[in-house]
Amino acid sequence: MDIDLSAADLAFRDEVREFLRTNAYKPGADYAAWRDGWFGKAKAKGGWDVPKWPKQFGGPGWTPTQHYIWEQETATAMLPFDMPFGVGMLAPILMGYGSKEQQERFLPDIRARKVNWCQGYSEPGAGSDLAALKTKAELSADGKTYTVNGTKIWTTAAHMADWIFCLTRTQDTGKRQEGITFLLFPMKQPGIEVKPIITLGGSHTVNMVHISDVKVPVENRIGEEGKGWTYAKGLLQHERTGLAGVSRSIIALEKLKEQARSVKRGNGSLMDEPAFRAKVAALEVDLMALEFTELRSLAAASAGGALGPESSIMKLKGTEIQQRIAKLTVEAGGIYSAGWGHPVGPKFARNGMASYLSSRAYTIYGGASEVQKDVIAKNVLGIKSGKK
Amino acid sequence: MNFDLSSEQQLLKDSVDRFVADNYSLEARVKVTDAEPGFSKAHWKSFADLGWLALPFAEADGGFGGGPIETMLLMEAFGKGLVVEPYLASVVLGGGALRRGASKAVKDAILPGVVDGTKQLALGYAEEQARFDLEDVVTTARAEANGFVLNGTKSVVQNAATADYIVVSARTSGGQVDRNGISLFLVDAKAAGVERDNYPTVDGLRASEVKLTNVRVDPDRLIGEVGNGYAILEAVANDAILALSAEAVGAMEVLYKDTVEYTEQRQQFGHPLSEFQVLQHRMVEMFMEYEQCKSLLFRATLESAQGLPTAQRTIHALKHLVGKAGIFIGENAVQLHGGMGMTEELRIGHYFKRLLVIDAQFGNSDHHLQKFAA
Repeated sequence: MDIDLSAADLAFRDEVREFLRTNAYKPGADYAAWRDGWFGKAKAKGGWDVPKWPKQFGGPGWTPTQHYIWEQETATAMLPFDMPFGVGMLAPILMGYGSKEQQERFLPDIRARKVNWCQGYSEPGAGSDLAALKTKAELSADGKTYTVNGTKIWTTAAHMADWIFCLTRTQDTGKRQEGITFLLFPMKQPGIEVKPIITLGGSHTVNMVHISDVKVPVENRIGEEGKGWTYAKGLLQHERTGLAGVSRSIIALEKLKEQARSVKRGNGSLMDEPAFRAKVAALEVDLMALEFTELRSLAAASAGGALGPESSIMKLKGTEIQQRIAKLTVEAGGIYSAGWGHPVGPKFARNGMASYLSSRAYTIYGGASEVQKDVIAKNVLGIKSGKK
Repeated sequence: MNFDLSSEQQLLKDSVDRFVADNYSLEARVKVTDAEPGFSKAHWKSFADLGWLALPFAEADGGFGGGPIETMLLMEAFGKGLVVEPYLASVVLGGGALRRGASKAVKDAILPGVVDGTKQLALGYAEEQARFDLEDVVTTARAEANGFVLNGTKSVVQNAATADYIVVSARTSGGQVDRNGISLFLVDAKAAGVERDNYPTVDGLRASEVKLTNVRVDPDRLIGEVGNGYAILEAVANDAILALSAEAVGAMEVLYKDTVEYTEQRQQFGHPLSEFQVLQHRMVEMFMEYEQCKSLLFRATLESAQGLPTAQRTIHALKHLVGKAGIFIGENAVQLHGGMGMTEELRIGHYFKRLLVIDAQFGNSDHHLQKFAA
């Protein structure tokens, strides 16, 4: 065991830094053109536009250490805007369970960020208990077309999406998990109605999606009918590891310290006040540990293949840390954090409250923290489920 | 020892509870806060008619001579209803300064309008560099032959936009953080040199940055003695903490009860959420925090009402606990409501936002713990 980067890793880090520096956005430049160019150049580097894709699908085939370096270096850089749904979520499912035709049909546009995807999982009656979903997909007698009816909720970016990947129910009998089917269909068509949901931070990112009599050709089904749950479960684990955001939290913590130092108190600053200082220090300790938990988990993944349910700890701890940083930012802003949509007080206080309020969703989406703990108790600790 | 209300106090409680229950649905509140002036003028008139605007003023000043207990009853109900009318700003803050320090002439001129609801007040005590320290004042008041000239900016002044008069702290002598040398002035909000930059706060209320540029104030608009305004300011801040804590306790009660009700209805994994032990325990913790806040609220309110020397320290303890517990209860109400808790459609998010602002008003949880331990 050692924690030094090898000469090859150091060379890789320099290469990443050089790439990010050379292709950084220049203020005033055309954003869309820069974004397209950035992804193009990243692709030319050998799959840097899709770092997590396996080599056979055009990814870079990095080692866990290289992934770690990439995450660290990109956390401080301004990357082009990128939604996770296509490249990060649907693509692994297509690679794992989609047909060759489906892979050829969908992956290139996903990679080129040409088509925006959204994820149709949660429903009003199926949140943390996703298997309770009811959106119905009925196959026509000729076996060619599904007719989909139902309602999805908390659908991030549905109002900007071209396509949706959607969990539907094709069977009501038997085990709930066994009657679920994974379908892909376009969003911009009659029968789909997207209604905005305004959240506590005052922003519109999530939606309610009503689906009525939408026809989906059977070739848009991933894998077999009734097996959608298995496919989605693998994806949820992907989603959960991606939510820890360790590198981003390290940067955010440094920013918080800087902000607190800008709040003058007597001859010092807010960072010199014992209560605040202790909270920042405790956060830093947890984050140092989590950084290594992530490295251990990455190392295990590279040695043994798939991520197990122990990846749940990353989401639990990672989101808790993100929330604590957001909360301390609000505290640092004092009464100015209460200002709403109007510049008042120190600059950092202007977005603190909205970020904090949004951060409350981190322990809800992708499986509420309470459910994550149930999963760990059952799958990692091996405790038999009994009393609720 | 007796925690029973007198019959007058019980009548007051019944009347405010009824008014709040009848008039403060979430829909009604959102409609009011989305428009200017951010509160209901009709409700304000009702507050006057019901005698609430007269509550803390002496009978000689046209009031009812109520004390901290009466204000607590009113504010706790306001907290339950998430009332947006500027009672705290006008009656507790502005009114609190006037009834303690204004001359008879000023009281006679101003208070009747405050009591009948035709005039409103605000208190400008905060400044950007001061964080939560009332004594940190750089706004200046220069004595001249026939009055004072004020310069500086008072920050996050609640209700300044609709206030007719703003009570302002300014330095007449001493260094930036000296308690001596602070004086209070009653400033006409429309006086030359008063500029108000108005904005909403996250809880749906209104505040302003109030810039004072060579604002002339007549000598009889001085509240209290020159250089001795701090004692009044501190007493008003204590009133405010008691009032805000009562409001917070009312809000906490709604949050924990709404959460219990929601988890009893919401089915996941084939059971109501309320059957899951981990959620039951969390709700018990929310309830415990609420009860502890209520106890400390009673303790601080009664010690203040009886003028006990321990009152100041208990007020610090109260504000510390209310800030911390309010956010704990709010965060968990959202968490246990899941995605629904994140929306503006349910009332819990609105109560949570109010509790977040209450923590930052008149010193946050850390600030008061430090004062308590000092």
